[in-house]
Amino acid sequence: MTSHTDAIDARDIANLGHVRDLFAHADPVPSDLAERVKFAITVHALHAEVAELMDSALLTTRGAEAEVEPTPTESVTFTAASMSLMVTAAPMDSDETEDRVRVDGWVTTPGARVEAVTSEGSSSVISDANGRFVLDDLPHGPVHFVVTDPGNDDTRPVITPTIQI
Amino acid sequence: MTPTPTAPDGLGTLAGRAFAAYRAGERERLSELVDLVTPVLWNAARSQGGAPAMCEDAVQTAFLQLVDRADSIQEPAAVLGWLVVVVKREVWRLARGARREFGVDEVPEAPAQQLDPEAQSILSERQRVLWKHVSTLSPRCQELLRVIAFADRPDYAAIAESLGMPVGSIGPTRGRCLQKLRTTLGTDPGWAV
Repeated sequence: MTSHTDAIDARDIANLGHVRDLFAHADPVPSDLAERVKFAITVHALHAEVAELMDSALLTTRGAEAEVEPTPTESVTFTAASMSLMVTAAPMDSDETEDRVRVDGWVTTPGARVEAVTSEGSSSVISDANGRFVLDDLPHGPVHFVVTDPGNDDTRPVITPTIQI
Repeated sequence: MTPTPTAPDGLGTLAGRAFAAYRAGERERLSELVDLVTPVLWNAARSQGGAPAMCEDAVQTAFLQLVDRADSIQEPAAVLGWLVVVVKREVWRLARGARREFGVDEVPEAPAQQLDPEAQSILSERQRVLWKHVSTLSPRCQELLRVIAFADRPDYAAIAESLGMPVGSIGPTRGRCLQKLRTTLGTDPGWAV
């Protein structure tokens, strides 16, 4: 005879495992919930302006309705009131780095700081006098961009929705 | 084989460590915290009977509150329990609409767990048997078992406490809810294989 004051044993652990499997199967965590929480935290922390994704034919955001993993992005344009940003992602050339992605981009603000936030952390560059920039050695997967203007403290950062590269 | 009750790498411990690092300035560790605890929070939210969209909002709101109040949280190690409490209250608040006349401390009892007919139709035969037995438990036990099933054993006590269960009733011991589940499953010849 067992009692509720006994120590938890292997059978209890197994029962909890079955309960976990039951709910994980019948009512799974939405696959994009964690990513959207992270995005909301970033927007919140920056008091940022959220850029809209243009080029809907290439839309690859992770929306609630997405039933399949988005296909890899080729070229995407974002617009916000204060700027536009275009990015093109391509695999890196050399054999050793074929799992990595290079992003070529253009932003309407020369000298803007463009930060790519990926699953590995973030890396940033300053756009040149024409607004061009390159971010290389990025991992495949979700990424969003945060654009700030170091030359103008009055402007709010602009943050893009998450895309897949 | 059996994990010890003091396993240092339980979910709550890992979450507390990530949160402490975030507070100390490693901002990227917040992502780790989100990944770690989102399944527990989702189940804590859904176990309150909220619709999926409402539960997603509640999980998001809890994290935003955590960011806002990060520095005033006294025990970073207890961040998992803190988030569970906030999620629960948030679902309850959203479910009540904008009505504010209730104090936030009046968290109502969780309802009995529900599964959509659609969700029930995808269960395996064995899961159906389990669901039948889980449904016979008290709503409080259903809620507790659902949420702690997504944590790890070292965290049962802390999570039980954040769900309003006296710690003494679970702690390192089985507790009444696990005992009831064990008993009801044990009497079903259809479960024993």
